[in-house]
Amino acid sequence: MKDNNPISPHIQVYNWHISSLVSISHRITGVINYLLLILVCFWVISLIFGSESYQYFKKFSESMVGKFFIIGFIWSYLFQILSEIRHWFWDMGYGFELRTTKITGVIVILGSFILTIALYLLSGVLI
Amino acid sequence: MVQINLPKNSKIQKGKYFKDTTGSKNIRKVNIYRWDPSTGENPRIDTYEVDMDNCPSKVLDLLNKIKNEIDPTIAYRRSCAHGVCGSCAMNMDGKNGLACTKPHSEIKGDINIYPLPHLKVLKDLIGDLSSLYKQYESVEPWLKNSNDSSKTENLQSKEDRAKLDGLYECIMCACCSTSCPSYWWNGDKYLGPAVLLQAYRWIIDSRDEDRKARLKKVADELKLYRCHTIMNCTNACPKGLNPAKAIASIKKMLATS
Repeated sequence: MKDNNPISPHIQVYNWHISSLVSISHRITGVINYLLLILVCFWVISLIFGSESYQYFKKFSESMVGKFFIIGFIWSYLFQILSEIRHWFWDMGYGFELRTTKITGVIVILGSFILTIALYLLSGVLI
Repeated sequence: MVQINLPKNSKIQKGKYFKDTTGSKNIRKVNIYRWDPSTGENPRIDTYEVDMDNCPSKVLDLLNKIKNEIDPTIAYRRSCAHGVCGSCAMNMDGKNGLACTKPHSEIKGDINIYPLPHLKVLKDLIGDLSSLYKQYESVEPWLKNSNDSSKTENLQSKEDRAKLDGLYECIMCACCSTSCPSYWWNGDKYLGPAVLLQAYRWIIDSRDEDRKARLKKVADELKLYRCHTIMNCTNACPKGLNPAKAIASIKKMLATS
């Protein structure tokens, strides 16, 4: 009898809030960062094999797909770094009040986008 | 294990619709999770039209009104109706809380009521909390002190007593533990916020002599470190406590001792 008892709905009905969104994004960006390191490997390899092979990478990085990957990579890393800083404070025992977690959560989300744009614009100026 | 989808026997079906019979102009729709163990059917959502002109302010009042006036078959736990006993913990409007302290005016649109998430349902809004109680027992939630306290008072400084504030108020309603995704996926091994807050309540008690053993006991990859600070627990706690902070305090004690 007992084995036939249903499981009450969980993720299907539970509300999202800023902290849970940042938490799941932290995981997802972690996986993305890991996978996109392959891209960095290709970059380094293309450098090792000289200017001709580097042109291939350059062509890719200037294409729409390449830009998407690189900007996505920058965002994903920035998000991870900001969220990790939030976790450092938590590990030290600070910032657990609900209001504070909301504010720091918003800072992580907005900050990651703002810094991505800033970095993109800055790289355009510098290069 | 992470299982996003509900198993086959837990899929929710459309249920009955109870139309208003009072002719009231102030009607709200209340959707309630129903499961009857005697039928072998899947759970369903029944919808009730409720006359809000003659309904007191809390979600529990609303449930009582439905049970008394519309459908007596609905089952839910309740006792004190004052946020002290923790019996009427359930998921309202996508968030766990106590039905007796949650005003229905805070909920916009239709009022959705489910049992506490990711529990074995016993009937309707009643979930099976026996594994949580077993975990609670495993942290030995009682004072361990070799002094014979039957003869003298067991004194504690004001500062040491203050360390228990925000911990002793816990009523074990399980709102926090059943809001926690880590507890959903690993509830058999991870102790969950409610039990860890209780564990910390005894670890930090100056009169307790078993601190080291208590810490050693919870210092476990699964029992403790499945907490990833998602903060659902603190968001859910109807008593305004902070289980996430208590868990972090245990982690900090372990890291610094």
